[in-house]
Amino acid sequence: MTTTHSIRLTTRDGVEVRFDCAEDEAVTAAAARSGLILPTLCGSGGCGTCRAACSEGAVELGPHSATALPADAAARGEVLLCRTFPRSDLVLSAPFDRAHILSGDLPERGATVTGLERVAVNTVRLTLLLDPHEELGSGADFEPGQYMELAVPGTDIRRAYSIASAPNWDGTMEFLIRLQPGGRFSGWLAGAGVGARLTAFGPAGHFTLQERGLTPRWFLAGGTGLAPMLSMLRRMAEWGEVQEARLFFGVNRDEELFAEAELSALAAALPVLTVMRCVRQPAQGWNGFTGTPVDALDHALWENGGTAPDLYVCGPPAMVEAVRATAARHGLPDGQVLCEAFLPSGVGENVPAGG
Amino acid sequence: MFCYQCEQTERTDTASGCASARGVCGKDQVTADLQDLLIYTLKGVAQYATRARALGAGDNQAGGFTLLALFTTLTNVNFNPTRFTALIAEAAETRARVRARYEAACAERGVAPETLTGPAVWEPAGDLTGLLAQAAVASVLAGRETAGDDVTGLRAMILYGIKGVAAYAHHAHALGYERDEVYAGVEAALDFLATDPTDVGALLDQAMALGRLNLTVMEMLDAANTGSFGPQTPTKVRVTPVKGKAILVSGHDLKDLSVILEQTAGKGINVYTHGELLPAHAYPLLKKHPHLVGNYGGAWQDQVKDFSDFPGAIVMTSNCLVEPGPRYRSRIFTAGPVGWPGVRHIADHDFTPAIQAALATPGFKEDAPEKTVLVGFGRDAVLGVADKVIEAVKGGAISHFFLVGGCDGAAPGRNYYTEFVEQVPQDGVVLTIGCGKYRFNQMEMGDIGGIPRLLDVGQCNDAYSAIKIAGALADAFGCTVNDLPLSLVVSWFEQKAVAVLLTLLALGIKDIRLGPTLPGFLTPALLDALVEKFALKPVTTAEADLAAALAPAA
Repeated sequence: MTTTHSIRLTTRDGVEVRFDCAEDEAVTAAAARSGLILPTLCGSGGCGTCRAACSEGAVELGPHSATALPADAAARGEVLLCRTFPRSDLVLSAPFDRAHILSGDLPERGATVTGLERVAVNTVRLTLLLDPHEELGSGADFEPGQYMELAVPGTDIRRAYSIASAPNWDGTMEFLIRLQPGGRFSGWLAGAGVGARLTAFGPAGHFTLQERGLTPRWFLAGGTGLAPMLSMLRRMAEWGEVQEARLFFGVNRDEELFAEAELSALAAALPVLTVMRCVRQPAQGWNGFTGTPVDALDHALWENGGTAPDLYVCGPPAMVEAVRATAARHGLPDGQVLCEAFLPSGVGENVPAGG
Repeated sequence: MFCYQCEQTERTDTASGCASARGVCGKDQVTADLQDLLIYTLKGVAQYATRARALGAGDNQAGGFTLLALFTTLTNVNFNPTRFTALIAEAAETRARVRARYEAACAERGVAPETLTGPAVWEPAGDLTGLLAQAAVASVLAGRETAGDDVTGLRAMILYGIKGVAAYAHHAHALGYERDEVYAGVEAALDFLATDPTDVGALLDQAMALGRLNLTVMEMLDAANTGSFGPQTPTKVRVTPVKGKAILVSGHDLKDLSVILEQTAGKGINVYTHGELLPAHAYPLLKKHPHLVGNYGGAWQDQVKDFSDFPGAIVMTSNCLVEPGPRYRSRIFTAGPVGWPGVRHIADHDFTPAIQAALATPGFKEDAPEKTVLVGFGRDAVLGVADKVIEAVKGGAISHFFLVGGCDGAAPGRNYYTEFVEQVPQDGVVLTIGCGKYRFNQMEMGDIGGIPRLLDVGQCNDAYSAIKIAGALADAFGCTVNDLPLSLVVSWFEQKAVAVLLTLLALGIKDIRLGPTLPGFLTPALLDALVEKFALKPVTTAEADLAAALAPAA
């Protein structure tokens, strides 16, 4: 008979949840058995969404991506909950709030494509109108920074995309999607148009704005990592929030820049916001910042004489790790770096609902 | 973090108080520390304000701000550290303004301004990390090592009483009612605490002064409510849903409710009250709105389930808010002093976002079978039939009155109040105030000669009405309130109940039964003092307490 251990997990907002976990099941699976759907995405050690800290107990970590959990982080006692198999009772600290632990399946919404336009050389803006839901109503209800899983019509494949629009009551959702050669959803988008139908699952995710007084909020976006930042900044503008905000938006080449109109509108609506566009390999005549958002962050932290900011980071895993390293070099506590990494290609297929 | 301001605070065999990363109410350490610092800064405002007022340079704008800021620190009101960071900065600016007024008034009169210390000159740090590093100075336990537990507990009781007074005064202020004497009283009490008082006699005197001040405040709020919306009249309130889009308004603020009723008129949205807004249905100028269709849910501690099930928008106008569940987090809105991180706050009485949410959410699909409760027995309604009541008492039809009121809460011991009311003899009449009534207000209790055996007097602040009713009965019988066949059985939860309790004690009312547990800040010695002076009694069991209440006086 398999030995069972007690798991004590404390969420970011200090709520403790307890459940039992057998040695041959992952912590996320055991939690789900107890009716607690912990925030995970790939469920296979690839994305880092469920990265948490283990302060007491022994674990065996299953196979996982080194970008999702670098060796030094594992050495500090960090784990991926979807790849954590207990070998004793565990005390865990999670980087998400209790409210992000769901019960049951992700809500399912039918949706109609109301807009599909190419906004940069390899990026499209997809706009959906959600069908009214019997219980949820007609709104688009989520926390800025969260994502939806969009099903490739005719398949059971889902792809997770951060929502770029702000929550609203008319049911619209906007996504910024980087087209992947050979990608299943990209392939569907190529043939889709206004009026096309698809199914969306969610919202999900715990990459959301934190209330930490007037602590400045600095946002670092790589490519379509801009999407959750737009949602957060739109929320800040709508609510008239006053924290100093900086957006470092990075792409490789000038022609990959997009969302100019949205960023201009945000700058007008949110006086506390400054936007820095970062191009790693600009063409001649580029008069913005040359380099990555991480380079820009490094400069800004050196020059920052005020309160250490909270960093919100969304982009490729390498960029996320580079931000973590830069933040650590400047003495920013781990808790002030909030990250969402893109899934590596192929990870996330057949994502089970809620996980 | 250390907090023991409410009834549900953590308790062990030897100590009371929430001192971990998160209190029982859901308030985290950061927010708790910021609340302490806000109060500390407000003491500094009061140090200057009370002296400026004495020189005729009172600042009622600062007074109004102080009421609101204090209100944000009550249990289950505001959990948003961003709001507290901003409030601390605003309090420091207010302090600078009041100080300038004080010094100008001194200069005008040719007197030297006092050199004040402590909160008057404390400088809040400019960022969150710095503020949290300063928190120890403002802890409710600061100075306990030298002052001792009794003095610390008395200081806490006064502070919590001030918070209760401020909450009531803020509701009146929202309706345009304010009085210099109220601001002066709050400022004087905060100024008193700023001196770190240690004299037990002086502390008890201040507590009684606060009780008297609260009577004035409750009278002002009564005037504000009845002046704005007419006197309460007995009214049947539907407590089951009606088909259609819906907004649920919770908390205590009649002003917010009236604005929501006006802004939803003609939009096809039904408005429901929740919790302590139930008595709103009894006010003529509120119940005139046909879309104020009923009351929904139970007392505040049931809200996660009730709000999850409610198919519309929800507005919290004051306490009690608990952490919004994921199923309704985006369709709950806070107003006034209330706040929760990530929940939309409406600061300007423009409830458009809540109205949009109500229209976008499904609403109730069908009418539920109609069920009603009776409310509206404020002082006007009861005293309007005083002759009938007095006759019933004199004729022996009514043997005893029980005021069973106060807050509700989640503690299992609160079944006491249900059991107590269930066992009240058939010739007994129960008057109730506060949300504790949800424990028994759907009981069929019948009437005595047309006088309902359960009289809902109103919100907790309608303790004023209950006091007026008791006073009128005492006058009619030519005795004191303590001599009436009246027993007070009070349930407390938060700081407004502390203020009401101090009022009852200041009025000399004895033999109050208090539960379900006693405040954590009352030390055994303080409790002994209250028992000795006021015959305050902790509740025991419903059977024993009822028997004792009905026993002939020795």
